[in-house]
Amino acid sequence: MTQLSITSLSKSYGSFKVFDGLNLEAKAGEIVVIFGGSGTGKTILLRLIAGVEEPSSGVIAIGGHDVSDIAPEHRGVGMAFQNFALFPHLSAAENIATPLRAAGAAEDKVKAGVAKVAKLLKIDHVLTHAPRELSNGQKQRTALARALAAEPQILLLDDPLRNVDAKLRFEMRLELPRLLRQSGATVLYVTQDYKEAMALADRIAVLAGGKFVQTASPEDIYMRPATLGVARLFGDPSINTAETVVEAEGNGVHVTLGGTKVPVAPAYKAHAGRAVTFGVRPEAVDVSGPSGLGAEVVAVTPLNERTVLLLQTPSGWEFLASLPSSAAAIPEPGAKVFARFGEAGTHIFDRQTGERLHG
Amino acid sequence: MAELIINKVDKIYRSRKGDVHAVKALDLTVKPGEIVALLGSSGCGKTSTLRMIAGFEDVTNGAISLGGKAIHTLAPAARGVAMAFEAYSLYPPLTIGENMSFALKSSKLSQAEQDKRVKAMAEMLEIADILNKYPSSVSGGQQQRASLGRALVRDAGLYLLDEPMGQLEPQLRAVLRGRIKHYLREHKCTTILVTHDQTEANALADRIAVMEGGVLQQYATPAELKARPANLFTGTFIGEPPMNVFNADVKASAEQVSFVVEGGTTLSYPAAEMSDALRQRLGQTPKIALGIRPHALHLGDGPVKGKVVACQWLGDQTHVAVDVAGRTVVSVSQERVSRAPGSDVALNVAARDLHLFDPATGNAIAHGGKPA
Repeated sequence: MTQLSITSLSKSYGSFKVFDGLNLEAKAGEIVVIFGGSGTGKTILLRLIAGVEEPSSGVIAIGGHDVSDIAPEHRGVGMAFQNFALFPHLSAAENIATPLRAAGAAEDKVKAGVAKVAKLLKIDHVLTHAPRELSNGQKQRTALARALAAEPQILLLDDPLRNVDAKLRFEMRLELPRLLRQSGATVLYVTQDYKEAMALADRIAVLAGGKFVQTASPEDIYMRPATLGVARLFGDPSINTAETVVEAEGNGVHVTLGGTKVPVAPAYKAHAGRAVTFGVRPEAVDVSGPSGLGAEVVAVTPLNERTVLLLQTPSGWEFLASLPSSAAAIPEPGAKVFARFGEAGTHIFDRQTGERLHG
Repeated sequence: MAELIINKVDKIYRSRKGDVHAVKALDLTVKPGEIVALLGSSGCGKTSTLRMIAGFEDVTNGAISLGGKAIHTLAPAARGVAMAFEAYSLYPPLTIGENMSFALKSSKLSQAEQDKRVKAMAEMLEIADILNKYPSSVSGGQQQRASLGRALVRDAGLYLLDEPMGQLEPQLRAVLRGRIKHYLREHKCTTILVTHDQTEANALADRIAVMEGGVLQQYATPAELKARPANLFTGTFIGEPPMNVFNADVKASAEQVSFVVEGGTTLSYPAAEMSDALRQRLGQTPKIALGIRPHALHLGDGPVKGKVVACQWLGDQTHVAVDVAGRTVVSVSQERVSRAPGSDVALNVAARDLHLFDPATGNAIAHGGKPA
């Protein structure tokens, strides 16, 4: 069932267009991550849904009803912010209770509501504390509890893990999906961290240039990016690129990288002659074999349990390979290797439009 | 290329509210041409150390020498140290290019040579297109690269880089890390990098000095820090995601060594997988803290049983959180794996991947079946 639907939504400030003609549907209980860089309008989108700002045009419907004329507090929307935004003069419990009180709930309902959500978020032991007495993690949980307290149909989370330390961010990343599912709310979650997006989302909506460039499952976004721009936003290190041309020769199809012909899937034959951007994910670069694109290892930089090699072809094309650190042999700087590119991590994009070509 | 020796250095900030002992008896040697990272969270003493080396702070006790010459009493400019600041500190009235060549003005290099150096550095850092722009008109990431470039074009005995890559655009970061590491090696730059980001430290450094509470916790290569953490602090600080740690009771017999983990799970290993010295030690150590890195905790058969809390694929790896007797443990696979939340799973860990710590002192007892 569609719980939230956004149709042809536009927002401008004077002549400055933030976004134009956004469409998005979220099913009941779904977690949709709004992903994009800073300044792409992610937070403004949440504010429009919450009702604290008005769209320039377009329709937002919740549970099938246009909410244009419904005040924020009656939309069934809860929101949590990256800076927590707790009331400093209220205890954690009173902060969490605010949406319940605003809705006019009876005192026993307020108490029960606060207790339930505090237990879910494991902050029952700090409910009497003032915000300044809470750790960043507890503040973040309190803000989340406040957003969840009135059992909203729609939960809007604006980069809630941005201001917590790396360890807690990681813990919360693992814990949040369960919490959000238990709440039953439909969630729109804003982040600039692609790992967070992939970890939490049922679907990711990639916002860039005022549009949703791609709205799809994490798998589709990563394995089948709609554009070069999307491919670049997901992955660490990000995708290697080179400008080249698809060429057909007999039965084979290849691109030329650093002066060497590199075969690509035969299906790209349909694009022969086209100016393209070739892309290969660093983890799809295999340097263990005896043949392929010749390159020298410039630098070896460990990255967590992986090792990233900076490689350079004799013609000067630089690209990265990311190998598991457990790999049988990690080449040393100065070593000559031959690179092969795994099909699943290789993409070819139209150089003009940036769209991924189907191979 | 010079050797830096920090000898029993203390930094004490005195104030009416009481003294703050920011750096405690620090001994650290950076070999000529070596890249060393000072790694720790805020307040660990890494920035005070950096400032004492640069000359922005006095040392309270001890000595610092560079290339055999004591420098801790010299004025900052006389120390032969080039520094890239976290806050960039570019000169606003100068262009990016002028900022970078400013430090070369006092050198004996010809103008042509200065220009050549700046151009090559700018190309390496992908800022060749903004050399004529002023700092205020370029992005934070570009200012940071300009600040780094200004430090690296100089000839200096020591390069100090303070959080040099924190603002870099994610798409550039990995390539620039590689290029900078290559540059520092080629030019045999003795380098100290100060960072709170272990990813950066691991990527660039030959050795990492892990600091906490003003005390050097461990000074070792990235691989050594992972494989043989000296204590529980380093063990849980280094590694992403962090190491899983359990309290465990030890039962050692002639045939096998068992660890009975809180919650009741028992991990047993043939005695042959533990060295004699370790088994002897464990005979006198009934309680330990058992550390297992997420990458060493494998899904499949095994004695550790639990229910999946979350299974998150990140493109090049999968993180699986498992509830084991009320505790969440994390397993990371380099493959793509798929496990439904709520499903039952079993996990195993090899003896060679166990880290044993003394729960009272936090000091390492053993790594991979051998005494630490």
